[in-house]
Amino acid sequence: MATSRLVEAREWPSLLKLVKKGEPVCTTGYFRRKVPHDLSLTEISAARLGVAHFYPDAEVILDLGGQDTKVIDLRNLTLQMNDKCSAGTGAFLEQAARYFGVTVGGLALMAEKARDRVDVNSTCSVFAQSEMISALEKGAGRNEVAAGLHHALARRIAELVPEAERIIAIGGVARNRSMLFALSAILDRKLLVPPEPQTVNALGAAIHAAAHSSQS
Amino acid sequence: MKGANRRKPPVVGITALVPPELIYGAGWYPTDVNNWIPGSDARPRSKLCAWTASWREAILKGELGLDALVVVAGGDCHNALADGQAAARKVPRTHFFFYPFDGDTGYLKGQLEALEEFLGEGRMAEGAHRRRALEKVAAAKALGLRLDRARSDGKADPERAFKLLISFSDLEGDPVAFERKVRSVLAGPRLRATEDRPRVALIGVPPIYRDFHNVCAEAGLQVVFDELPYEFLRLGGNDIDSLARSYSTYTFARPVEYRLGFLERELRTRKVDGVIHYAQFTCHHLLEDGMLRERLNRPMLTVQGDLPGETPAQIRLRLEAFGELLSGTKGAV
Repeated sequence: MATSRLVEAREWPSLLKLVKKGEPVCTTGYFRRKVPHDLSLTEISAARLGVAHFYPDAEVILDLGGQDTKVIDLRNLTLQMNDKCSAGTGAFLEQAARYFGVTVGGLALMAEKARDRVDVNSTCSVFAQSEMISALEKGAGRNEVAAGLHHALARRIAELVPEAERIIAIGGVARNRSMLFALSAILDRKLLVPPEPQTVNALGAAIHAAAHSSQS
Repeated sequence: MKGANRRKPPVVGITALVPPELIYGAGWYPTDVNNWIPGSDARPRSKLCAWTASWREAILKGELGLDALVVVAGGDCHNALADGQAAARKVPRTHFFFYPFDGDTGYLKGQLEALEEFLGEGRMAEGAHRRRALEKVAAAKALGLRLDRARSDGKADPERAFKLLISFSDLEGDPVAFERKVRSVLAGPRLRATEDRPRVALIGVPPIYRDFHNVCAEAGLQVVFDELPYEFLRLGGNDIDSLARSYSTYTFARPVEYRLGFLERELRTRKVDGVIHYAQFTCHHLLEDGMLRERLNRPMLTVQGDLPGETPAQIRLRLEAFGELLSGTKGAV
């Protein structure tokens, strides 16, 4: 597990070049069956293994992805996901970032600079965008609107999170400091974030492959 | 009604569970207006719940060929009350049926008597016909309970068994032919019990996806309990009083606390490892999710379905993940 590389989704074939002959390939994620593999597991199981590597005593995993948000309560093995609409996912921020002509990281920086926060009440991301435009027309600052959007997303995600002491945030959105700030404020809890949280599921898959190799 | 001159009995649509004993006894054929939906690609307009909106639209288009409609408007499904009223405009006759929230058998007896009257008391007076009808339904249900047990023991194909079990609401309009169908599945090749698979209960309204049980099986989950079909099977009776006593225990119409007590017993008896709570998008039953999670004390996955068809990728993913989580607890991974 010493070698790792991050690539864009469509460039996965280049990852296979890293694999030495005889080494098992374990895939995870929505496209896991499209990629040639020896082993495969869902990102939920991968998240459990990856998070356990950093936090063996984790209680709840909050996987904040671009397409969905997953909440895994490790204490009773319950799983909740938000995917009925993009309001609880990173896609919500991507859409807003496109409007402002910045990256998602840029949007987070804008939110960090905000002196106040515009309330965005809509849970639907399309309606939230209408609210955002309306607030800007009324003279609200861009940064304050960006902070409001992060807070709206955090509020939506927080609805899924059970009461727990050790909540671990992973996934690409967990790199977003403005999101973590808003989530921590709503949950009244500091979230634990492993290094490179967007790769934790890949790490979990690698751990699974390594365990399988040592068994066989 | 003799020989070649025998007229086909009139067809009454039911929107949820209405004692089929009473309907057959009155000389009508019941048809559960929900059962065609999973096999369809219905895309109803102006919908909250796709179940009720689909039958409402089909009835309005005159597609179900109903002579009458019984809307279960009290207890069970709340959307049915509104969609039932809309559909009633295109059915010759409509009756609204109410289950008692508190299980009052006297109240339910009154409701059953009103339903008998709606269906035509004259037919009920034919004692021999009624007795035969009740016997046929009872025989089919007894066989259904055997099928339910075989499925729970992993000895019947879950998808095939589910499709029959869910049809016990109307017995497909012909208890005798339906009983034969159930018998043929029971007589078919026995599956080997798969004890290493996590045993799951499917609670809530039935899934709107036609391949849901197969997807569960592919995800390594053995469905050993389907809540609603079991209600269809376990309730019955041979006269108005016994029907009222039995159907007043219909858990979906009772307070959630009553239902929880019933579920706790069933899950224990069937040695259930985990629970899938299926709710329909916008269904009020989703609001019960927290109480179910708190009380049933088992790993639980909540799945929210919307339009009919094949199980969507996100829901497949959830089921696969749930299978992996539960297999981990059984030491299979």
